[in-house]
Amino acid sequence: MTNWKASGLSKDLPPANVMHADWQGVDLAVWRSASGRLSAWVDRCPHRGMRLSHGFVRGETLACIYHGWTYGVTGACTHIPAHPDMTPPATITATRFEVTERGGVIWIAAKDDPTAPPDIAGFQPLRSLTVQVGEQALLQALAADAPGLTEAEGGLRGTVQIAGLDTQICLMLQPKAQETTLHILCGAGAGPAQVSRWAESLRRQIEDRSAP
Amino acid sequence: MIPQAVLDQWYPVAMTSLVGPWPGRETQLLGRPIMVFKTQSGAVSVQTAQGQAVAVTLAYGHVWACLGTPAQDLFALPEAAQPGRRLVDCGVVRVKCSPLRAVENFLDIAHFPFVHTDVLGAEPHTEVGRYEVQIRDDVDEVWATKVHFYQPQAAKSAAGGIVTEYMYRVAAPTAAVLYKTCPNRTNEWDVIGIFVQPLAEDLCDVYPYMALFDDVTPQADLIHFQQMIFLQDRSILENQIPRLLPLDPGMEIPTQADLTSVAYRRWLKRKGLTYGAQVVAA
Ligand code: FES
Ligand SMILES: [Fe+2]
Repeated sequence: MTNWKASGLSKDLPPANVMHADWQGVDLAVWRSASGRLSAWVDRCPHRGMRLSHGFVRGETLACIYHGWTYGVTGACTHIPAHPDMTPPATITATRFEVTERGGVIWIAAKDDPTAPPDIAGFQPLRSLTVQVGEQALLQALAADAPGLTEAEGGLRGTVQIAGLDTQICLMLQPKAQETTLHILCGAGAGPAQVSRWAESLRRQIEDRSAP
Repeated sequence: MIPQAVLDQWYPVAMTSLVGPWPGRETQLLGRPIMVFKTQSGAVSVQTAQGQAVAVTLAYGHVWACLGTPAQDLFALPEAAQPGRRLVDCGVVRVKCSPLRAVENFLDIAHFPFVHTDVLGAEPHTEVGRYEVQIRDDVDEVWATKVHFYQPQAAKSAAGGIVTEYMYRVAAPTAAVLYKTCPNRTNEWDVIGIFVQPLAEDLCDVYPYMALFDDVTPQADLIHFQQMIFLQDRSILENQIPRLLPLDPGMEIPTQADLTSVAYRRWLKRKGLTYGAQVVAA
């Protein structure tokens, strides 16, 4: 069993950008430096608690939007703008999670994980889509609406009829209280636009059905 | 249970000019429903849901209420009565944060270049020099003086960048006032305040307040300027974790630039004003 959780698609986090991710109920700031290095930190600036996912990337650092405290990829604070001549104490650090990329997916784990993230060779990352239902309800709905998908490491895989074509689909699930984000990857079969439309209509169908 | 010390303080609950007849403004103070209304004789009254009238003071364009027995008179703000000043009511901004975090943010200058970029501050002018902070026992207030900061556009009436001098004052647990160099009169201070109504521990109504020597700028522009500043602050205040203000050291990391915040937290803790605060079990 792997602890790595799919937390986004690589292509949705270009260099010099930061995003928020939910990891098992923990708020994280995930960011990529200008040179492409990826980091995942607890979404809380040690100074005054501002969400780091609201910050901005400059070169190889992430700066907090509140007072501009700047952190390098090791998590250590490198610059405090209010005291530009001071070297920040080494004790000021962001709290790091493990993060890696495989198959175009961003994977996050709490601590160094000897296992590798799931192998999803043969699939191309398509897009992420958030469905307003919890994970269990989503799995039940998918069992009914896309019976060709079966549980595989980290999510579901299998064959779905899309636009009359047998299409290889891989769904990585990222659950959060009352919603679930689907990271959609596809293999041979229908084209990306058709798979994307299929996923959207699936979402509508599932949300309509679970609406009170 | 709300500590008695919290109940015995004054809090703003309405803008006086907007108070209408019964039931008036139906709002909340420290989590308790209240009504702020004008009686038939024209007096302003504040009542709890049980119909109990509470202590009221009208001052600085606002209605102040105390749910307990007022520990002292409402703070004095003599500048409000000074001839030549324009009093500007800037309305009210609802913020999903601790009332104490809203006050603390108002006392903070280090965020100007990042949150109020090119208005109240701009890189590379980010340094916060030494300033003086005191908890003044004579008036039971927190004061920060000799605060200097470079500002690209310190006020609506300031044309270019200037080094502005400030004094900050915590006049009540959820009311703070700043005095800043007046661009139009060298021997006077512009007065800007925020009066914060604690609706709940993590929800507040913020009333910005101004008493300025500025007879040029149209009122609408002044209000617009102040509202823009507060909306920028709101985007910060609603995204701080935890929502409640940590009063014990350890959770957050203050530096010399945060001395006003440190003194404010210490003052709150000493007085037992823990509504909206996170206190680790003693
Ligand atoms: S809260 Fe992040 S720099 Fe102050
Ligand atoms: Fe601000």
